[in-house]
Amino acid sequence: MNQDRRDFIRKAGIGALAGIGAAAGLIPLFALEKTDTSVFSDKPVPGKTRWGMLIDTRKCGEGCSECVARCHHDHNVPDFGKSKSEVKWIWKSGYEQAFPTASKQFQSNDLAHRKVLTLCNHCAEPPCTRACPTEATFRRWDGIVSMDYHRCIGCRFCMAACPYGSRSFNWEDPRPALKTLSPTYPTRERGVVEKCNFCSERLVKGQLPACVESCPEKALSFGDLNDPKSEIRMMLASNETMQRKPELGTLPSVFYII
Amino acid sequence: MSKPVQTAVACIIAIAVFTGAWLFMQSGHGAASSAHAAMPSAAAKPATVDSTRCIAQTEWMRAHHMQVLNQWRHDSVREGNRTHVTRDGRRFDKSLNTCLGCHASNPMFCFMCHQYANVKPTCWNCHISPMESNK
Repeated sequence: MNQDRRDFIRKAGIGALAGIGAAAGLIPLFALEKTDTSVFSDKPVPGKTRWGMLIDTRKCGEGCSECVARCHHDHNVPDFGKSKSEVKWIWKSGYEQAFPTASKQFQSNDLAHRKVLTLCNHCAEPPCTRACPTEATFRRWDGIVSMDYHRCIGCRFCMAACPYGSRSFNWEDPRPALKTLSPTYPTRERGVVEKCNFCSERLVKGQLPACVESCPEKALSFGDLNDPKSEIRMMLASNETMQRKPELGTLPSVFYII
Repeated sequence: MSKPVQTAVACIIAIAVFTGAWLFMQSGHGAASSAHAAMPSAAAKPATVDSTRCIAQTEWMRAHHMQVLNQWRHDSVREGNRTHVTRDGRRFDKSLNTCLGCHASNPMFCFMCHQYANVKPTCWNCHISPMESNK
């Protein structure tokens, strides 16, 4: 049999292809066992949970600021006693300040004078994290907009970007302004921005946020917005709720019953 | 030996070899799958602090504690991976408080060496040292 080089290479190529095809057919799929990488690390799955809060402003007691005091004590938030250098994580605003674009025509007297609890909205589309040049603030795997104070350079772009005024700047050293130090959470330094962290240091221990826990009227509910069976989702489904400035498209995780 | 006997012996040996190989593979596979099943449950358990021994050798920690702290901060703050597993399988919470749980006396443990090495880390500008909270 006469066989030239070209013929041999052609036949060898076809043979190799047939061999690969036969091997793919013969080796069953379960032999190529899938590697479940999640067993190799304790990393949470990003986007699985999204923490959210529902504030019932009807239950929120007039003149009560239990949650504010508790939060500011637990997180070593200083009180300088002047509005220029004020630092706040959670505070009460007037209805008109909290919902400036809501209709005010012929509104009830009660609503006009109602105080609304306001805090960082932990937006699903946070403008602050886009403004931050050092990635000191970022959206976590569980929807919390978090701050890494080590990385903050104090440029305050995030404060300009936040449409809710949820961020405060440390114009002065906070340590002397703290009467009692809470040992469970660090303080901040002069020259960094700070804000509510949805009590991520308590969530990791399986506890509810300090404001939710301290409310005497149980006006605050907290839970996973991504879980349709969670209590907060049940309450959102059965009540008419509002978000602050929804027209901006920031998708806040804090909801209000008016 | 007659031919039928030879054939029978060969068959028995062949069956024994195949059975042995099959059992070996089964046991290996079984062990692998049980290890897989055990890992997530171990991961779900909260890390307990074994305070009898440090996460690594003293000499190594002396040279590398700053890298460890940086890595721990990145893992726990940015990725949510809070469990440190040492080479010998002990588990620790990636937190400065894990260190301070044992090394609570910072004048002795931090400052003396930092002063000698002339380094000025800013940890205690924000983090509350155990000495401060005891006051």
